[in-house]
Amino acid sequence: MNFLRSALYVNVLLVTTLLISPGVCAAQTPTHGKQSPGTVKKSDADESEPYPNALVQSGSALFRQDCAFCHGRNAGGGESGPDLTRSKLVTADVDGDKIGPVIRNGRPDKGMPPIDRSDEQIASLVAFIHTQQKLALEKKGGRKGVDASDLQTGNADAGQKYFDGVGGCATCHSPTGDLAGIASRFEGLQLEEQMLYPKKAKSKVTVTLASGQSITGTLEYLDEFTVGLFDPTGVYRSWRTRDVKYKVDASINAHVELFSKYTDADIHNLMVYLQTLR
Amino acid sequence: MNLRKTVFLITVSALIAMTPSSTMLAQGVDSQMLLHPPADSWPGYHGDYSGRRHSSLTQITPQNVKNLSLAWAFQTDQIASIKSSPLLVDGILYFTVPENIWAVDARSGHQIWHYTYPRSPGDHIGHRGVAMYKGNLFFLSPDAHLVSLEAKDGTVLWNVTVADVTKGYWTTMAPLVVGNHVLIGVSGDFDNLSGYIRSIDPETGATQWQWDSTPPVGTPNQTTGGMTWMTGTYDPDLNLVYWGTGNPTPVLKGSTRPGDDLYTCSIVALNPETGKLVWAFQVSPHDTHDWDGVETPVLVDGEFHGEKRKMLMQSSRNGYFFVLDRTNGKNLLTAPYGPVNWSLGVDAQGRPIPNPAKEPAPDGRLIAPDEAGMTNYRSPSFDSKNGLFIVDAHPSFSIYFAKPADGLYGWAGADYGVWGKGLLEAIDYQTAKIRWTHELGPGVAGAGVLTTDSGLTFTGDAMGNFLALDSSDGKTLWHAGSGSRIVSSPITYELDGRQYVLTSSGGVMFAWALPQA
Repeated sequence: MNFLRSALYVNVLLVTTLLISPGVCAAQTPTHGKQSPGTVKKSDADESEPYPNALVQSGSALFRQDCAFCHGRNAGGGESGPDLTRSKLVTADVDGDKIGPVIRNGRPDKGMPPIDRSDEQIASLVAFIHTQQKLALEKKGGRKGVDASDLQTGNADAGQKYFDGVGGCATCHSPTGDLAGIASRFEGLQLEEQMLYPKKAKSKVTVTLASGQSITGTLEYLDEFTVGLFDPTGVYRSWRTRDVKYKVDASINAHVELFSKYTDADIHNLMVYLQTLR
Repeated sequence: MNLRKTVFLITVSALIAMTPSSTMLAQGVDSQMLLHPPADSWPGYHGDYSGRRHSSLTQITPQNVKNLSLAWAFQTDQIASIKSSPLLVDGILYFTVPENIWAVDARSGHQIWHYTYPRSPGDHIGHRGVAMYKGNLFFLSPDAHLVSLEAKDGTVLWNVTVADVTKGYWTTMAPLVVGNHVLIGVSGDFDNLSGYIRSIDPETGATQWQWDSTPPVGTPNQTTGGMTWMTGTYDPDLNLVYWGTGNPTPVLKGSTRPGDDLYTCSIVALNPETGKLVWAFQVSPHDTHDWDGVETPVLVDGEFHGEKRKMLMQSSRNGYFFVLDRTNGKNLLTAPYGPVNWSLGVDAQGRPIPNPAKEPAPDGRLIAPDEAGMTNYRSPSFDSKNGLFIVDAHPSFSIYFAKPADGLYGWAGADYGVWGKGLLEAIDYQTAKIRWTHELGPGVAGAGVLTTDSGLTFTGDAMGNFLALDSSDGKTLWHAGSGSRIVSSPITYELDGRQYVLTSSGGVMFAWALPQA
């Protein structure tokens, strides 16, 4: 499915006769991580003169082709790309000095490909992104955001107690083990979302063939009909589900089971506790 | 003229005279067709006025569906996913994405014409399809214009504005034709706007009447919102149109709109001639989670606890399944059809009671279901044979935020889905017990549901597989991987004595049928 979407995207680009490398971001994992939106104050974005309209317009058209697939048509975030209008980097950028390198080099660790464009084209993208940030701040009725400072109403000791006790987190997680430094890797809303359900985490699966041989790997694809994994050497293998027995390591489901057990206070306490793990 | 030619002409005329008229002359859509759609038609968004999306066609059966194969595919070659239900009239299909209508030969998948509305402002979130009356199509644009076009070649006949896009309105729905009324609904949640249904004259585009779902903008302590997003249903015997209304605005903040916020999140019954409100039932009083009540109001005649009833059923976005008496709006049953954690139970009228502790808050509240809801615009189906209401459900959890700095306008907050899955549920409408389920995968499956009298359920899963299931137990009998996300509801019809099922995925329309002999 991801491949077809990339292929269709390429098709559209070819139809419009652009000579750019295909937007592979659809096939990459979405971008989450250290770069959290943070607070964007209206005064920050307002300082500069507005960009010439023609530049913004050509930037808008180019953004739609190169960037909108992941970042949304209005740069407000999309399928797999963050909301650029709430980006600290965009706020700090002066005429492309920070945005330009990100466009040119991509963010390979986060699934953004490098985009090869001329200086003028980069400038038009920069103009569009800054204009969008300004508009987003002025737009009264759109979706708002969440700042890290909003998420500090809990109590760390109560959070630790929940972690070690009723929450059952200690069954699988350790503050000095897998969660050491978690708050340096994620902050704010992203930390809370990961805590509630780490949607990027891959599960392990063991497939047993009719011969009795079993293979354990990282689950890559599963529907009613096909199970696919990356084996320990990194090679993809798949089978019809009707031909094999398979067992998915379902420990991630512990997160789902907690949804009906948490109080909102538990969640806030856990958040504050996890933020001590830097 | 020679003898051979005369004989030929006489033979041909005799054959024409013998063939059922609906397959010979292009008639377009009239009131009779809308009331009693023939097998070789799908003349409106829901197929018929009931919204049950249940077909009497039985050529495709649980026994032979494993042989279902691709008759043809139509590729729109553009990036928007098809969310519309096609119309099938006189052998031609009409379906849409925002700003686009395709007319396609239902026999071959060949394009007859393609209409594009000029690039317009307004939300391009999706498009549900056209309506048809006589030989004309009715099409809504993102910038809230209603356009009438000739079905034969897409020529525009008239274009009227039905809402002000500069204020924040947009339109996506497939209009409903009742008598000589073209009924349209509007959308717009990012501004504090009043929702309404408007009745338009099919010949001229003139407004016949308007029903407002909420008070005028600026009325103190009153809500705005109540957008009329989706196509309603109609009971010709009671002469009532049934329509769902959307959530209030500001969306995630309720402080400026204390009380129930009528008529947001409501199922309303209107007189189609006058637009007068006959009754209303609110599925989500004082909503603060964006849970529209616009899902299909499905009309079912049958028994309820031993009594014959004219019923209306809705699987609502807020996670509750409702059965009402559609003559007067009285509640017969209200029950959750998935995890819900935002209510304090159900009141004496059968309406869920919102829990103030689960309103969006500055530090967030864990809410089940998520903003997308336990279901959304995709159609459910009522299988009369099994007495099952079958819905593509989305058990899910999310966090909702609202703080003073978010203001009191439009969204006024933020919300994030944390986890969800797709789950097809077959609900016994008399008890709300779920008789069978079928897992559809992680995230959300976007396919709607179609059932047929032969005992088949057509839908799709979250991985883009089209599925045919046994309606009695939900077991998979056929599937085909489509390669993209399915975000539309299936239709079926019979053409040339062959039953077709049409499904879409991404920008491609697929026509399925048993192999020709």
